Amino acid sequence: MNWKYALPILFLAPAVALAQGKGPSDPQIAHIVVTANQIDIDAGKIAKSKSKNKEVQAFAQQMITDHGAVNKQAGALAKKLGVKPEDNDISKSLKKGGAENTANLKKLSGAAFDKAYVDHEVAYHQAVLDAIDKTLIPSAQNAELKGLIEKVRPAIQAHLDHAKHLQGDLGKNAGKK
Amino acid sequence: MKFVPERLEVAAGDRITWVNRDFVPHSVTAKEAKVESGDLAQNARWTWTAKGKGDIPYLCRLHPVMKGTIILK
Repeated sequence: MNWKYALPILFLAPAVALAQGKGPSDPQIAHIVVTANQIDIDAGKIAKSKSKNKEVQAFAQQMITDHGAVNKQAGALAKKLGVKPEDNDISKSLKKGGAENTANLKKLSGAAFDKAYVDHEVAYHQAVLDAIDKTLIPSAQNAELKGLIEKVRPAIQAHLDHAKHLQGDLGKNAGKK
Repeated sequence: MKFVPERLEVAAGDRITWVNRDFVPHSVTAKEAKVESGDLAQNARWTWTAKGKGDIPYLCRLHPVMKGTIILK
Protein backbone atom coordinates (compact mmCIF):
# COMPACT_ATOMS: atom_id res chain seq x y z
CA MET A 1 0.00 0.00 0.00
CA ASN A 2 1.44 3.32 -1.01
CA TRP A 3 -0.01 5.88 1.43
CA LYS A 4 1.28 8.78 -0.58
CA TYR A 5 -1.31 7.99 -3.25
CA ALA A 6 -4.01 6.52 -1.08
CA LEU A 7 -4.52 9.69 0.93
CA PRO A 8 -5.68 12.01 -1.87
CA ILE A 9 -8.26 9.43 -2.93
CA LEU A 10 -9.76 9.48 0.55
CA PHE A 11 -10.06 13.23 0.39
CA LEU A 12 -11.48 13.14 -3.09
CA ALA A 13 -14.38 10.87 -2.25
CA PRO A 14 -16.56 13.39 -0.37
CA ALA A 15 -16.02 16.01 -3.09
CA VAL A 16 -17.22 13.59 -5.76
CA ALA A 17 -20.28 12.67 -3.70
CA LEU A 18 -21.13 16.38 -3.47
CA ALA A 19 -20.56 17.00 -7.15
CA GLN A 20 -22.89 14.16 -8.13
CA GLY A 21 -25.53 15.92 -6.08
CA LYS A 22 -27.64 14.66 -3.27
CA GLY A 23 -30.18 17.38 -3.91
CA PRO A 24 -33.93 16.77 -3.73
CA SER A 25 -35.73 14.93 -6.55
CA ASP A 26 -38.49 16.63 -8.58
CA PRO A 27 -41.32 15.08 -6.48
CA GLN A 28 -39.48 16.29 -3.36
CA ILE A 29 -39.00 19.77 -4.85
CA ALA A 30 -42.73 19.93 -5.63
CA HIS A 31 -43.42 19.06 -1.97
CA ILE A 32 -40.95 21.70 -0.74
CA VAL A 33 -42.56 24.39 -2.93
CA VAL A 34 -46.08 23.62 -1.69
CA THR A 35 -44.93 23.38 1.95
CA ALA A 36 -42.94 26.63 1.84
CA ASN A 37 -45.92 28.50 0.39
CA GLN A 38 -48.41 27.01 2.83
CA ILE A 39 -46.26 27.99 5.82
CA ASP A 40 -46.27 31.62 4.74
CA ILE A 41 -50.02 31.53 4.04
CA ASP A 42 -50.59 30.21 7.59
CA ALA A 43 -48.41 32.93 9.14
CA GLY A 44 -50.19 35.54 6.98
CA LYS A 45 -53.60 34.37 8.22
CA ILE A 46 -52.50 34.77 11.84
CA ALA A 47 -51.09 38.25 11.12
CA LYS A 48 -54.26 39.32 9.34
CA SER A 49 -56.39 38.40 12.28
CA LYS A 50 -54.05 39.59 15.07
CA SER A 51 -52.26 42.69 13.77
CA LYS A 52 -53.81 46.14 14.24
CA ASN A 53 -51.30 47.73 11.85
CA LYS A 54 -52.78 48.42 8.41
CA GLU A 55 -49.45 48.02 6.58
CA VAL A 56 -48.75 44.71 8.31
CA GLN A 57 -52.28 43.53 7.49
CA ALA A 58 -51.86 44.52 3.82
CA PHE A 59 -48.54 42.69 3.66
CA ALA A 60 -50.10 39.61 5.28
CA GLN A 61 -52.94 39.67 2.72
CA GLN A 62 -50.38 39.92 -0.08
CA MET A 63 -48.60 36.83 1.29
CA ILE A 64 -51.89 34.89 1.42
CA THR A 65 -52.80 35.94 -2.14
CA ASP A 66 -49.39 35.48 -3.77
CA HIS A 67 -48.34 32.25 -2.10
CA GLY A 68 -51.84 30.91 -2.77
CA ALA A 69 -51.40 31.78 -6.47
CA VAL A 70 -48.00 30.06 -6.56
CA ASN A 71 -49.41 26.93 -4.95
CA LYS A 72 -52.29 26.83 -7.40
CA GLN A 73 -49.78 27.02 -10.25
CA ALA A 74 -47.49 24.42 -8.64
CA GLY A 75 -50.43 22.05 -8.06
CA ALA A 76 -51.55 22.40 -11.69
CA LEU A 77 -48.01 21.75 -12.96
CA ALA A 78 -47.52 18.70 -10.71
CA LYS A 79 -50.81 17.28 -12.02
CA LYS A 80 -49.84 18.00 -15.63
CA LEU A 81 -46.43 16.36 -15.20
CA GLY A 82 -47.84 13.46 -13.19
CA VAL A 83 -45.50 14.30 -10.30
CA LYS A 84 -46.71 13.18 -6.88
CA PRO A 85 -45.21 15.53 -4.24
CA GLU A 86 -43.05 13.49 -1.86
CA ASP A 87 -42.35 14.44 1.76
CA ASN A 88 -38.66 14.86 2.63
CA ASP A 89 -36.24 16.25 5.21
CA ILE A 90 -36.28 19.83 3.84
CA SER A 91 -40.10 19.92 3.94
CA LYS A 92 -40.05 18.48 7.47
CA SER A 93 -37.56 21.09 8.61
CA LEU A 94 -39.63 23.88 7.01
CA LYS A 95 -42.78 22.61 8.73
CA LYS A 96 -41.02 22.47 12.09
CA GLY A 97 -39.78 26.06 11.69
CA GLY A 98 -43.25 27.18 10.58
CA ALA A 99 -44.90 25.54 13.60
CA GLU A 100 -42.40 27.18 15.97
CA ASN A 101 -43.06 30.59 14.41
CA THR A 102 -46.83 30.10 14.62
CA ALA A 103 -46.61 29.06 18.28
CA ASN A 104 -44.48 32.12 19.06
CA LEU A 105 -46.80 34.52 17.19
CA LYS A 106 -49.87 33.21 19.00
CA LYS A 107 -48.31 34.28 22.31
CA LEU A 108 -47.68 37.87 21.20
CA SER A 109 -49.83 40.95 20.53
CA GLY A 110 -49.57 44.61 19.50
CA ALA A 111 -46.20 46.02 18.43
CA ALA A 112 -44.33 42.95 19.69
CA PHE A 113 -46.47 40.77 17.42
CA ASP A 114 -45.91 43.00 14.38
CA LYS A 115 -42.15 43.03 14.96
CA ALA A 116 -41.93 39.27 15.42
CA TYR A 117 -44.07 38.59 12.34
CA VAL A 118 -42.21 41.00 10.07
CA ASP A 119 -38.75 39.99 11.35
CA HIS A 120 -39.61 36.37 10.64
CA GLU A 121 -40.94 37.23 7.17
CA VAL A 122 -37.61 38.93 6.33
CA ALA A 123 -35.59 35.94 7.53
CA TYR A 124 -37.96 33.42 5.93
CA HIS A 125 -37.97 35.01 2.49
CA GLN A 126 -34.20 35.35 2.59
CA ALA A 127 -33.92 31.65 3.46
CA VAL A 128 -36.35 30.72 0.68
CA LEU A 129 -34.37 32.78 -1.85
CA ASP A 130 -31.18 31.00 -0.77
CA ALA A 131 -32.90 27.63 -1.10
CA ILE A 132 -34.19 28.57 -4.57
CA ASP A 133 -30.73 29.59 -5.76
CA LYS A 134 -28.61 26.93 -4.07
CA THR A 135 -30.89 23.89 -3.94
CA LEU A 136 -34.14 24.03 -5.87
CA ILE A 137 -33.10 25.51 -9.24
CA PRO A 138 -29.82 23.53 -9.45
CA SER A 139 -31.58 20.27 -8.47
CA ALA A 140 -34.76 20.50 -10.56
CA GLN A 141 -34.58 18.10 -13.50
CA ASN A 142 -37.82 18.89 -15.30
CA ALA A 143 -37.57 22.10 -17.35
CA GLU A 144 -41.12 23.22 -16.55
CA LEU A 145 -40.60 22.70 -12.81
CA LYS A 146 -37.32 24.62 -12.99
CA GLY A 147 -39.12 27.32 -15.01
CA LEU A 148 -41.85 27.64 -12.39
CA ILE A 149 -39.29 28.14 -9.62
CA GLU A 150 -37.43 30.69 -11.71
CA LYS A 151 -40.69 32.53 -12.31
CA VAL A 152 -41.52 32.52 -8.59
CA ARG A 153 -38.13 33.96 -7.61
CA PRO A 154 -38.91 37.65 -8.41
CA ALA A 155 -42.05 37.47 -6.25
CA ILE A 156 -40.01 36.15 -3.32
CA GLN A 157 -37.46 38.92 -3.89
CA ALA A 158 -40.28 41.52 -3.96
CA HIS A 159 -41.73 40.08 -0.74
CA LEU A 160 -38.30 40.27 0.89
CA ASP A 161 -37.87 43.92 -0.18
CA HIS A 162 -41.38 44.77 1.02
CA ALA A 163 -40.82 43.01 4.36
CA LYS A 164 -37.51 44.84 4.87
CA HIS A 165 -39.22 48.17 4.12
CA LEU A 166 -41.92 47.31 6.66
CA GLN A 167 -39.26 46.28 9.18
CA GLY A 168 -37.65 49.72 8.76
CA ASP A 169 -40.99 51.50 9.24
CA LEU A 170 -41.83 49.49 12.36
CA GLY A 171 -38.35 50.28 13.73
CA LYS A 172 -38.84 54.03 13.13
CA ASN A 173 -42.25 54.04 14.80
CA ALA A 174 -40.88 52.11 17.79
CA GLY A 175 -38.12 54.70 18.11
CA LYS A 176 -40.67 57.55 18.35
CA LYS A 177 -42.28 56.15 21.47
CA MET B 1 -41.51 41.27 -10.71
CA LYS B 2 -41.64 44.63 -12.47
CA PHE B 3 -43.37 46.80 -15.03
CA VAL B 4 -41.85 46.46 -18.50
CA PRO B 5 -40.96 49.05 -19.65
CA GLU B 6 -40.69 50.88 -16.35
CA ARG B 7 -40.81 54.26 -18.11
CA LEU B 8 -43.14 54.94 -21.01
CA GLU B 9 -43.44 58.15 -23.01
CA VAL B 10 -46.88 58.84 -24.46
CA ALA B 11 -49.02 61.70 -25.72
CA ALA B 12 -52.37 62.67 -24.26
CA GLY B 13 -55.07 60.54 -25.85
CA ASP B 14 -52.81 57.48 -26.30
CA ARG B 15 -54.24 54.23 -25.00
CA ILE B 16 -51.92 52.15 -22.81
CA THR B 17 -52.69 48.50 -22.08
CA TRP B 18 -51.08 46.62 -19.19
CA VAL B 19 -51.10 42.81 -19.30
CA ASN B 20 -50.33 40.79 -16.19
CA ARG B 21 -47.87 38.13 -17.36
CA ASP B 22 -47.23 37.01 -13.78
CA PHE B 23 -49.32 34.46 -11.93
CA VAL B 24 -49.78 36.60 -8.85
CA PRO B 25 -52.26 39.50 -9.09
CA HIS B 26 -51.01 43.05 -9.70
CA SER B 27 -52.47 46.52 -10.05
CA VAL B 28 -51.65 49.78 -11.82
CA THR B 29 -52.17 52.46 -9.21
CA ALA B 30 -51.42 56.19 -9.14
CA LYS B 31 -53.45 57.69 -6.31
CA GLU B 32 -52.81 61.35 -7.12
CA ALA B 33 -53.57 60.95 -10.82
CA LYS B 34 -56.61 58.84 -9.89
CA VAL B 35 -55.42 55.84 -11.88
CA GLU B 36 -56.59 52.49 -10.50
CA SER B 37 -56.84 49.28 -12.48
CA GLY B 38 -58.21 47.15 -9.66
CA ASP B 39 -56.59 43.75 -9.09
CA LEU B 40 -55.48 42.17 -12.36
CA ALA B 41 -55.31 38.38 -12.32
CA GLN B 42 -52.90 36.35 -14.45
CA ASN B 43 -53.17 37.37 -18.12
CA ALA B 44 -55.78 40.06 -17.33
CA ARG B 45 -55.48 43.28 -19.34
CA TRP B 46 -56.34 46.85 -18.44
CA THR B 47 -56.35 49.87 -20.71
CA TRP B 48 -56.04 53.50 -19.70
CA THR B 49 -56.24 56.56 -21.92
CA ALA B 50 -53.47 59.00 -21.09
CA LYS B 51 -54.50 62.46 -20.04
CA GLY B 52 -52.82 65.50 -18.49
CA LYS B 53 -49.17 66.47 -18.75
CA GLY B 54 -45.91 65.62 -17.01
CA ASP B 55 -44.80 62.49 -15.15
CA ILE B 56 -47.26 60.10 -13.56
CA PRO B 57 -45.46 57.77 -11.17
CA TYR B 58 -47.43 54.61 -10.46
CA LEU B 59 -46.96 51.38 -8.57
CA CYS B 60 -48.53 48.02 -7.94
CA ARG B 61 -50.76 48.53 -4.89
CA LEU B 62 -50.20 44.89 -3.93
CA HIS B 63 -46.40 45.00 -4.42
CA PRO B 64 -45.27 48.57 -3.72
CA VAL B 65 -41.70 47.65 -4.72
CA MET B 66 -42.98 47.53 -8.33
CA LYS B 67 -42.81 51.03 -9.72
CA GLY B 68 -43.31 52.64 -13.12
CA THR B 69 -43.67 56.08 -14.68
CA ILE B 70 -45.82 57.36 -17.52
CA ILE B 71 -44.32 60.45 -19.13
CA LEU B 72 -46.88 62.60 -20.88
CA LYS B 73 -45.23 64.69 -23.56
